[in-house]
Formats: sequence, C-alpha cells, structure tokens
Amino acid sequence: MGDEVRSNLKYTDTHEWLKLEDKIAKVGITDHAQSELTDIVFVELPEIGKEVKKGEELCVVESVKSVSEIYSPVSGKVANVNKKLEDAPETINESPYDEGWLVEIEIGDESEYKTLLDADAYKRMI
Amino acid sequence: MVKRSPLYSLQKKLGARFTEFAGFEMPIQYTSIKDEHLTVRRTVGLFDVSHMSNVWIAGKDAEKLLSLTTVEDASRIGDCKSQYTAILREDGTVIDDTIFMHLGDKYMIIPNAGMDEIVTKWLNEKAEEYNISATAENVSKDYVILAIQGPKSRDTLQKLTKIDLRTVGFFGCQYIDIAGINCIISHTGYTGELGFELQITPTKLAEGVFKKILEAGDEFKIKPIGLGARDTLRLEKSFILAGNEFKGGRTPLEATMSWTINWDHDFIGKDSLLKQKEKGDYERLTNLICIEKGIPRHNCEIKKDGKKVGVVTSGTLSPCLNVGIAMGYVHPDFREKESILEIIVRDRPIKAKVVKPPIVPKDWAQHN
Repeated sequence: MGDEVRSNLKYTDTHEWLKLEDKIAKVGITDHAQSELTDIVFVELPEIGKEVKKGEELCVVESVKSVSEIYSPVSGKVANVNKKLEDAPETINESPYDEGWLVEIEIGDESEYKTLLDADAYKRMI
Repeated sequence: MVKRSPLYSLQKKLGARFTEFAGFEMPIQYTSIKDEHLTVRRTVGLFDVSHMSNVWIAGKDAEKLLSLTTVEDASRIGDCKSQYTAILREDGTVIDDTIFMHLGDKYMIIPNAGMDEIVTKWLNEKAEEYNISATAENVSKDYVILAIQGPKSRDTLQKLTKIDLRTVGFFGCQYIDIAGINCIISHTGYTGELGFELQITPTKLAEGVFKKILEAGDEFKIKPIGLGARDTLRLEKSFILAGNEFKGGRTPLEATMSWTINWDHDFIGKDSLLKQKEKGDYERLTNLICIEKGIPRHNCEIKKDGKKVGVVTSGTLSPCLNVGIAMGYVHPDFREKESILEIIVRDRPIKAKVVKPPIVPKDWAQHN
C-alpha cells in the first residue's frame, strides 16, 4: 500500500486524481496522498451545485493531526459528493481510487483536462 | 540545526515517520496514530521522549532553590519521590511545567523540549539573586528518556529487573537496573495509564534497553509509539502541553493547576497569583467534547450565542471516543459543566459540551 498509480486516471501535482466520463469528472486523492496523510478521520465535502475553479479548494480532509485542503483539478459545478465519507472517512485510506472518491464535477472547459498529468508523469513525481 | 535522538537510526529501521518538534526530529508515528493510541490504552507502548530536558539541581540549598522557583514546597517531597510542578515568572505566568525527582542529595528536573537552557539559566540567576547555595546543570544531551505506558507496562518492565516494581509507588523514583543497565525509573507518565519513565545515561546504552523492552513486551503486543499518539493520549486525559497551553503567558490558576500550588510557602510569582485569585475574573482552561461532527484545532474561537468567550489551545479527534475534543481558555461565566458552547472550525460553529477532566475516563479501555 502506498504508491499505486492507475494508468486510466489523470493526476495533479497536488495529488488529486480525476476520471472523466461524459463531462462528469470523478475526483479523489491518490494512494500516495492517503498514505502520506495516514488515518483520515474527517472529510468536509462541498455543497452540490457549488461552482469550483481549477486549483481552488474543493474540500478538506483531516487526519488526527493535520488538516489538508484538496484542490479542484478542473473548473465546473459540483454534481455529486460521496456522502458515505461523512460517516466512514477511513474509506479514503482503504480504497482511494474506488469507494473513497470525493466529488463529481460537471466540467465546462475540457481543455483543462488535457493539462493534467498522466500516470507516468505522476509516477515520476512521487 | 535540528537535533536527533540517539535512537534515530533504530527508529528509522522500525518504520518511524519523523516530525520536527521543538528543534528535535522525533518519530511522529510508526503505524498510525489511532493504532498506537489504542495500543497504549489497551496494552503497552514504548516512547522515546529524549526531546524532553534533564537538569540536575545540586548544592546544599538545592531544596530551597526548588521551593523558591516552583509552586511546590520541596521540603514536602521526600527522597525517592517526584512531583509535578510549575516554574513561574514574577508576574505569575508559567515559564515551564516540569516534574522534579528527589534522588538523594540532588534533584533532577525534566523541563519541556527546548526549555533546558531557559530553565537552567533562570534557576542559576535566581540562586545568585537570592543568595542560595545551589546550581542547575543542563545535562539534557547526556540522557535518553524512555516512557513505557499502558496497563501491561509493569508486567513488561518487571521481566527486566529484580526489583519488585509494585514497590515503586505512584510518583516514586529511584535508581534501578533495567536490562542490566543502571538508570533512573519513575512511576510517571503523560498518558493517564499505568506507566513508567526511564532516564538512561550514557545515551549509547539506550538502544540496547529500547530493544530489550520491545522483546519483553512482545507477548503483550507492545509497539513503539510516536509523538502523534503521545499528544492525543495526553489530551484525552486533559494534560497540559506547555507549548500550547502556556503560550502567550498563562498562570497556573488559569491553567487550572491550582492543585499543584502549595500556598504555605513563598515562591516567585506568589504575590501575582494571590492578586489574580482575589479578582477571580480570569479565563480558565476548559475541557470540551464536540456533540457535532468536526475537529477543533489550536486557535479556533470558542463562542456562546455568537459571542466570543474563549479560544482553543489544543484540539484533536479523540481516538477513544471518535469525536472531536478540545481544551481551551474560556471566560469564567461560560464554563459550567454541561454548558453547550460553539467551536468555530473554518467559519462553521461546532457544538461542544463542557466536561470535567479527564475527557476520557480512567480505565476506559477496560470497558470498551
């Protein structure tokens, strides 16, 4: 555990991942990020419908000792949030790429998507 | 220059992640803070706390110097006994809280991390100013400090010594052979569990002792514990962390440490405390348990009906209760037990209930 990078995802240099399907971008944090943060004990999710800009704070993830801001990899509107995390934040540690996703964003500008890192580039970074 | 414990390479091998704390690079965790926390509550954990300081107070008036510079009357503390106390400035604010151990004709005090030079200088200046024949000597570099904490701590250490550890009473201290190494043991700790602390010199002997304790505790599933769990363990028991709770100048009355003050002797800061006590309108350290989701952190505002009534000095998620907990200074009118206050976390008020210390009751692990 700790450094899995999936080839079908896009990444940011701030350790978010993104998966785009029909203009809906599913966003989470990488395996590397969850391993660095350790026990995640609290997640503050955005309101559905909120407009977010690339690089701005999307949500907050807390471990016992630290508070970390998660940045939006793209601009758009929050379409859905993973409500399950409110009662089971540890899901992010257990399944960062599947069950532990954070937010779905309806994206406007697809060109931003192209600027994200691919798996190889992210692997080289961590 | 960041200092490291003599046990740094061993800790690295054991999988520690490190953090800088008061000028020391120390393990923050090995496995996870929650896991280590619950290990100490349920069985036993081993901490390296060598970032803490060691200062000898010696000379024919050593007792007098301690009585003058702390809120304790040191003549009450007999040989082989230790005491938790505070060193104050003239204005009554705390310079540091510390344990002192009475060991024959000398005393060893354990100032907080990074406080060794400040405390040593203060004590020597006061000895000179008051013409007291005693000196303080900073020997922090010469000691490794280990803490063995948890319900199985005594059973673990007992395997490594011939002395019956039940004869070392609560806050007792003495020289002892542990794993063949002569060191100072005290029945003290910072976790609220049964526990002991060892002062080991020369430091090169400490690695052997550390390994022997891990071996002895193997049957109890002992684990090395980092400073992350040390902080959550102490906060659940409402123990003060000097760097948080005394920051900005707080008196022992504000820090609800009046139980440590021996009013029947003269000490530096006493006059100021008496004045403050008479006025009575000072903020007091208050314990809070969140009744809504959210984790309070250092410096969060505490409000009552939207009006600021205090500030959080320490906050975390309690690994035992799985809710946010906090300590902070609150105006005296708003801290009655069971009162509901709001802690402002990222602009959002989180309801929290005032509780009496300790936040997590004694023997919690036996019932959960």
